[in-house]
Parts: sequence; structure tokens; C-alpha cells
Amino acid sequence: MRVPDLQLHRPSSLDEAFSTAQEHGEHDLLGGGTDLLCNYKWRLNVRPHVISLRHLPELREEQGGPLAAGRTLHEIEHCAVLQRLCPEVPRAAAKIATPLIRRTATLGGNLHLDTRCWHFNQTAEWRLAHDSCLKAEADQCRVQPVPGDVCVATYSGDLAPVLMAYGATAVVASPEGERTVALRDYFALDGIRRFADRRSGELMLRLDLPQDAAEWTVRYEKLRLRETFDFPEGGVAVAVRWSDGPGSEVAAARVATTAYDSIPRLHEDLAERLVGRRIEEELAEEIGASLRDQVRPMKNTSMSPAYRKKMARVLCKRAILACLPSS
Amino acid sequence: MSRYTSTVGSRFPLIDSMEKSSGQGVYIEDMRFSGMLYARLVRSTETFARVDEVDFSQAAEIEGFVAGLAPGEPGTGNTFGVLPISEDETPLPAPNSLYSGAIVAAVACETEIGAREAALRVQVRSEELPATLRPKDALKETDHPIHSNTVAGTNLHKAVDQEFGDVDGAFEGASVVTGGEYVFDGINHGFTEPIGCIAVPESNGRMSLYSATQVPHYLHRALAKVLEMPMHKIRVYKPLVGGGFGGKSDPFPHEMVAALLARKTGRPVKLIFDRDEVFLNNHGRHPTEYKIKVAADQEGRLLGLDAHSRIDGGAWGSFGVVTTYYNGVLSQGPYRLPSFRYSGRRVYTNKPASGAMRGHGAVNARYALETALDEMAERLKLDPFDLRAQNALPPNTTTLNHLRITSTGFLECLERARERSGWDQKFRKMPYGRGIGLGCGFYISGSALPIHRTRTPQSTVHIKIDVDGGVTIHSLAADIGQGSDTMLAQCVAEAMGVRIDRCRVLAKDTDTAPIDLGSYSSRVTFMAGNAALRAGEAIFRKLQRACARLTGKSADGFVKGADETYVHLDDDSVVVPYMDALREALADNGALIAKGAYIAPKLGGAFKGSGAGLSPSYSYQAFVAEVEVDPETGFVRCEKIWAAHDCGKALNRLAVEGQLEGSVHMGMGQALTEQMLYLNNGQLRNGSFLDYKIPSPVDTPEIEAIVVESNDPEGPLGAKECGEGALAPIIPAIGNAIYDAIGVRLHEVPMTPERILKALEQKRKAEEKAGARS
Repeated sequence: MRVPDLQLHRPSSLDEAFSTAQEHGEHDLLGGGTDLLCNYKWRLNVRPHVISLRHLPELREEQGGPLAAGRTLHEIEHCAVLQRLCPEVPRAAAKIATPLIRRTATLGGNLHLDTRCWHFNQTAEWRLAHDSCLKAEADQCRVQPVPGDVCVATYSGDLAPVLMAYGATAVVASPEGERTVALRDYFALDGIRRFADRRSGELMLRLDLPQDAAEWTVRYEKLRLRETFDFPEGGVAVAVRWSDGPGSEVAAARVATTAYDSIPRLHEDLAERLVGRRIEEELAEEIGASLRDQVRPMKNTSMSPAYRKKMARVLCKRAILACLPSS
Repeated sequence: MSRYTSTVGSRFPLIDSMEKSSGQGVYIEDMRFSGMLYARLVRSTETFARVDEVDFSQAAEIEGFVAGLAPGEPGTGNTFGVLPISEDETPLPAPNSLYSGAIVAAVACETEIGAREAALRVQVRSEELPATLRPKDALKETDHPIHSNTVAGTNLHKAVDQEFGDVDGAFEGASVVTGGEYVFDGINHGFTEPIGCIAVPESNGRMSLYSATQVPHYLHRALAKVLEMPMHKIRVYKPLVGGGFGGKSDPFPHEMVAALLARKTGRPVKLIFDRDEVFLNNHGRHPTEYKIKVAADQEGRLLGLDAHSRIDGGAWGSFGVVTTYYNGVLSQGPYRLPSFRYSGRRVYTNKPASGAMRGHGAVNARYALETALDEMAERLKLDPFDLRAQNALPPNTTTLNHLRITSTGFLECLERARERSGWDQKFRKMPYGRGIGLGCGFYISGSALPIHRTRTPQSTVHIKIDVDGGVTIHSLAADIGQGSDTMLAQCVAEAMGVRIDRCRVLAKDTDTAPIDLGSYSSRVTFMAGNAALRAGEAIFRKLQRACARLTGKSADGFVKGADETYVHLDDDSVVVPYMDALREALADNGALIAKGAYIAPKLGGAFKGSGAGLSPSYSYQAFVAEVEVDPETGFVRCEKIWAAHDCGKALNRLAVEGQLEGSVHMGMGQALTEQMLYLNNGQLRNGSFLDYKIPSPVDTPEIEAIVVESNDPEGPLGAKECGEGALAPIIPAIGNAIYDAIGVRLHEVPMTPERILKALEQKRKAEEKAGARS
């Protein structure tokens, strides 16, 4: 396996990165490369220019803070600040891929993980034998072949639902300046387009958490066949803020999922049903069952859609119950 | 008198471990030759098609393009295969390409990147043919059989029917009959090092092929046939090999293609597979449908076994004829069976070929049998250990199908696994969700019959010793990571009474090594080990005579002493250091040379297929698995495995334990997570290590390797196999533990969470239905 010929750029400042991008047009941004370069080796949407973000000080902890986009997942996993502020983020980071990959992969890269599908994540030769895929060379989706179809490849990042559960906002920069966007609004329901209102040349600098982040209890449950390496086949993050100390009535809640759609998604209706109630098995079961009914997994990952759907109930129930102090 | 201290039974690292772990070891990917080209294969985009034309014109535009190789060119249609009875593989289609991903053509370029780009530009014009993907469809007549050697216009490759004793009578008179139907997905070996080779045309007209192979000798033969060159004009060289497990035990089309390209271009050609290509090459475990019935009397004495298998061979024959037999005949142990019936059918389909994989032929059948026995114990209210113990084959007996049983440590395996696992305190006594299960096994220690009908010994070892005192061991036994080089060194060192580090093993080159049939059928320790011992003993006798000349004492009286000396039995003050004895032995003679050879004894009956399963000895296993099952998700967590294995004698206890642990890990993969998955068009869906789910270290439980030693009378220093038999029992052990935990038996393997949940739901529905009726 070899990465095809391309030109790698290593800007050392944000301005240089923007000018490089403008100068060369068609490009990809490179965080750790553990996702992008694997796709490149399979000749998936290879672009002639790749701009490494590794040397941008704005994406490092010193300037970007504990959730700077360029921090490696290993750094996130072991960050004492994050372990105090939002402990489920380091815990979720520890569930991503393998220790070796986490040494290279970045927070920004994980959030921007390309959507995945068994018709897409294949070698060039495989796709040739299969009339390819909408997101690669073909004009029709193999999963849902309908006219004017949208890519239904699965979003498989682990950190997005957890950060959404904490209420994170993304700080993104472009040559026009910085803007903030709630992470929940960052993604677009299209496995190809992937991001809503993304402006040309824009890149993510960091995540910010709301002032009250530490007051939330967040738990993330991940479905995968092996206890390491695998992307989630389903993932549910639940956040609760107690009205009167741990285990009391829920004052506010968030429920977020990953790997059930082309985007990580907040389920506000489910969260609302937790508010004003004490968490008990029955309630967790009820919310889990509703989530199961809501999710529509596609037939494009290792496990079957029917099983992943069933597991949405279990993951959600367990994540809710795990918020209780006794767990 | 200070005698030699044997290394047998001690624990020491393999002799090449530093070479490998330091990165100094040379694998095929590390090798380079002057002027070397890089080849890339063009693979079929059709499931089954007649290839009419291959057009390299666009590929030739790539900078550095040197040559293409297309069907129809000399040699590309010559047949070969590991078994002479089914030589149905060709380097390139002749004219049909047989599965999606099959090799259709090849290109050679100056750079690897160039070769990749060029291969993608090759245009193949082909005519699609109706494909056969399901084994049951392969039994129907077709106008387009995949091969010309099939039975009566179908895609049936091999049919085996065997019957011994009064099977129908046994079942009629039985008190209990258990069994069922089981389905096993195909699996791949998952070795670490991808397949690869380099073909080098030599200036003297010879052809050298460097290849990551388990079978240099069979590769040598196949190359001679395909290249139409005499064997002495061909050299096969095996560098270090990063795992094989049966997946490098055939001569392969890509090896032929590399050689043909090298001949065509006159330059060395390197060809290394990507991981997806390893999966497409496959030759892994056959997808299998297995039906089994086992009969017993009220006391649990087994009366008969009736089994039928249908195995999916994919596109090529490979070892499939043997596999078809093994699925039946290797169920004749470790239990005494008064009657036995087996029918096996192997079919061709338009998918990557199946072949030999660790535990070849015995694994899926073993799951079916051990599951049926677990059911039987329950029906008879017997403990599963007791049921097996009372049916154990005794030593020094013969099975119905004429397998000769010599040493057996099966009862000790049962006793120690039971005791170490705390079975009596756990079985049927743990809370819902927690379970413990037993699975047993039996496996050949080398196939007694060579693949080719020949009187040449199956293993020969040469030794050469010169003035430096180093012991050079020549063999063609292929070390593929299992440690056979270390075993050879140990056997020779033991025979001579010298340190292992004095030995260097050159087991890689057909130009210098005597024939050994290679690493398959768990034959190397037994056969090459015996050959090495005999060669070492021949050297020892020469040294004895040298000692006699130096001391005036009788040659026979010299025995191995401490610190590489020879001591006389009559007078322990007469001590001759090895180097002194050697110098005397070299005087007037030159280098000491000796050879040892092994030929398996003549075994077996006179019936058709009697050669299958014959072995000079057999290994035995009793494995216990303790599992935790999540009934809400269907996830199984193996908590601990106890693996008792009769290896005859542990020459190197560390190596034996490593083999047992590796077998457990690999078997656990087949049990729980690994499966080759195909789209409806026959295209492999999960040809990567991300999507093909080999258990990770995190998923691997604590494994307690219990080494049982029955001291085989014919094994080298008492040893038998320990690399393959240990894989099979873990799968039924896990299955039976799942039953103990949650009360469902899985009829599909791997036992994925989804399948477990489905089985639980079916059980619940059945119970509801039964409750409604009552």
C-alpha cells in the first residue's frame, strides 16, 4: 500500500495555511493522517495537495487550550484538565482505535472523520468491480439507490456525541476571521458534504465548553465487536445536570448518538423526557426504547442495521443508568 | 561423573528471536536486487468470466512501464496445484477468471507506484458467465462448470463416502441420539506478513524464486511444471516468514506470474500483496455445512457417529480433497467408536479458494461432535468430563478406519483440565450469564503419506561440521515462526551433546538443503525432528570413534558429558572435549558430514481413502473455557481458558506454551468474531484487518497452558505436534460454556453477539409457545 503522489505542505502559521490553501485550490487538511491517508492509499478522493496542520501553534494546547483541535487523542486521554472538567471526553478518547493510532490521531481529525461505508472504504480495484460508490467514482448510492440520492455513509467519530453532550461549541477560522458554531449544528446530513455552512478554507481551531460543563454528568456507551481498534457500530452519550446533587431529579439533559447516521445527532425530545424526573431503570428503558425507534442505521457497517437498532436501546439505557452516582 | 544436562523440557527463546525482534531479520519485503522491477496484479472485476483480451496500451503510458503479462502467453495456462490429484490452478486465466478479485494479468514497472497506476489502467475485455456462489447450487448441473474435472456436469469437486461397522444398527439400538446441523463461515489465516515473492532470472539460465512460503519443495515442483524447466534449473529460497498457519502452504499463481514476468523481462521482479489481496488469495478454512448424529447407550458408551459435510472450496482445488476426508476421519478420535459413517462433498464456487488452515479439516467437525457430546452428557445426566473419559481411545489400539493409536495422554488432559479449572465447583453452578464448557480434540502429528507417490524420505537433514566447530544444519523444513529451526538445532545438539548456540540452521534454500516436504499437517517436529536426531546421532558416532582413537578406549563407551565433553563409562577420568574429538575426527577426512532421514511407517487399511488421517502419532486435547455472556447484547467475554494438550514431550516448554496460547487466540477468533463476508455478487466485503475481526490482545483472556507429556515411542525425544490440534477444542469449549451460561446452543459459527441474541430470542419464543400449549 502506498499513498499516491501528492504535494505535502507544512505551514507554520494559520495565515500561511490559508494562503497555501488559496494558492493550490483542491486540497485536504491533514491532522494525524490516520483516517485521510488510509483513504488515500485506497485512492479515495485523493487531492493533489495536502496541508498538514501539525505545525500550527493555534491548534496546539498552548494557544488553543485543552480542547485544541491539533491535540492528539493520547493527549486528550491523559489530560488532567479535561479529566477534571469533562471526564467523559478523556474516557471516550481512550475507547478510540488503538494506543498507537491515538498517539498520532487528533481531536480535530476525529471530529472530521470521513463518513464510512462498506461500499466506500474499499480498494480502488474493489470499487472498479462494484461500480463504485456515490462518494467515490459513481453517480448512484449502493446502499440506498434512489434518484438524486444523498450519501448515507455512517459517521463514526466517538468524541462528537460526547462533546455535544457537554454542549461544546467549535471555534473555526477562515481568512475572513473566526466564528463559533455549536457542535450540534456543525454537521450536515449528507455523507459527502458532511458539514453545514462550511466556508471555503475554513478549519477548526478548538472546542470550547460552556461555563457549566463541570456540572454535567456525562456517560458514553460504545458498541463494537472488539474492545479496541473498531469504530463504533453505535454510540450513545447521555448528559444530565442534577437539580439537587447526584441522583436527584434531572434538571437538564442531553442525549447524543453517533454511528447511526451520517452525522452525530442530538435527540432533544428524548432529553426533555428526562427532565424533572429521577433516573430509574424503567425510565432508562423507556428512553432507550424511544431511541431505538428513532434511529435508522444503514446496511453499510459490520453489524446489521437490525442489531444496531436493538442495541440503541441498550446503549442508551446503560448510559442513562451510568449517570447515577451508584453506578 | 559429570553428565550432559539435557535441554529437553526447559524454556528458552527461539534461536532466531533476537534476529526478528531487533529488526535485523530479512523478510521478503526487505530484499532488493539490482535492476529489480515491481509487479502488480490486475484482478478480475467479474465474478465468473471468459477473458477475451487484455489491453496494456494505457498502462504502457505510465512512466517506467516495462511489460505486461496476459492470458495466452507462454506458461500462463500451465496447471499446477499442491495436490497432484487436483492440479487445477493456472498462473493466469485459461481462459476463465474464476472469481471477483482473481488474477487476470500483471504488469511490471520500474517503481512500485508506477506498477500500481499501470495496473489500474489495464483494460480487460471479458464475457460474463453464470456464476455459482452457493454450495447447494454447485451440486446442480450447469453448462459452465468452474473446472473440467467436476462430477457429472456439476461443480462437485470431491465426494467421499465411508462406512465402518453397523451404523444403522447402532442408531436403532441407541438410548440417546444427539446432534444437529451446523454452519461455519469461511475464515482466513490472518498471518502478519503479507504474501510476497521475488523472481530472479540468473545469468546462467536458471530461475531463482525468493518467496514467503511454507512449502519450498512443492513450490519448486510447481515452478518446474509451469516454467517447463527441469528442477535443477530452479532455486527456491525462503527468507524469514511472518506467519503461515496454512496460508502459505500451496504454490500460488502470483509466484508463477512473478517468475514468468522475470523470464519475459530478463530482470528481477518483486511482487508483494496488499492485505486485501491476501484475503483474495485466501486458501483459508472452508465454509462448511455439517450434519452430525451421535448414538450412545444408557451408560453413555458411544455406539456410532453419522456425519455429513458440504464444504465450499471456492475457485480452486488446493488441499480440498484432503479437507473433504479430514472432516470425517479425524472425528475418529479421541473416542472409541464402534460404528462410523461419513459422507463429504466439496464443491467449487466462484469465490476465493479455500484450502488448509491450522487444524486443517478437523476444526468445524470437532465443534459439531463436541457440541453433540455436551448435549449427550446433559441428556444422560453425566458430567461432560466423565462421558468423554469413559469413551477415551486406549493407547496402542487401532480405530475403525485403521488409524494406529500409540501414545495418548488424553485421560491426563481431562484430569488436569478438570482440576485446574475448578470444573466441579463451577459447572451448572454459576449464576445466569456465567458459564464453563469443555471441548476436546485429536490431531495428526504429520501426515504419514507424502503428497507425491515417491520413495524419497519425507524429511532429510544434513549436518556439516568443520574446523570452527560450528554445526551447520541443512534442511528444507520451513520455519514460519513456529520455531522449527530451533527444534532442529535442539535435536542435533541433544544428539551430539553440544550447546544449541553452536548450531546454525540453514533451512531455506533448495540448492543446498535436502528435501523436506515443508510445514503443513503438523509434521515438522515429528518428521524433520527425527531426521535431525538421526543425523546428529551419526555425527556423535563419528565423534565417539575419534575419542576412541585419542584415548585408546572403546568408542561405544563414550557418552555425552558436561560442558561439551565426552566421558567414558568405564573410567570417568577419561574426558575428551568436543573440540578435541572434532579435530581428531576431521584429521585426514575433512569436514564431518552426516545425514538423517525419516519415512513414516507403513500404516492404514486397504479401502479407498484409507490414507487420509494416517499419522505416526496423534496429539490430544481437553480445553475448558469460562465465559461471561451479556444476555442483553449477546456479547461473550472469555474470562479464562485452560488448555491441556498432550504434545508427547515438550522439547522447549516456552515454545509449546506459545503454540497453545496462539492456538487458543486463533480459535477464539473463529469462535466469536472472524468470518469472511461476501456481497451477493460474490465480492469479498471485509478484506482488511479493520473489517475482518481478529480478536485483539485486549479481547484475549488469561490462558493457562497445561502441558501433558505421553512420551511418544516414535517421536523425536518423545515429542508430537502442538501447533494445530490445539486450535479445534477451544471453539466447542466456548460454545458449551455459552450453553452453560445462558442455555442456548449456537448452530452458526462464529458465535457473534447478533447470533447469540437471535438464539436467545428463539429460545424465549419456544418457551412461550410451550407455556401456551401447557
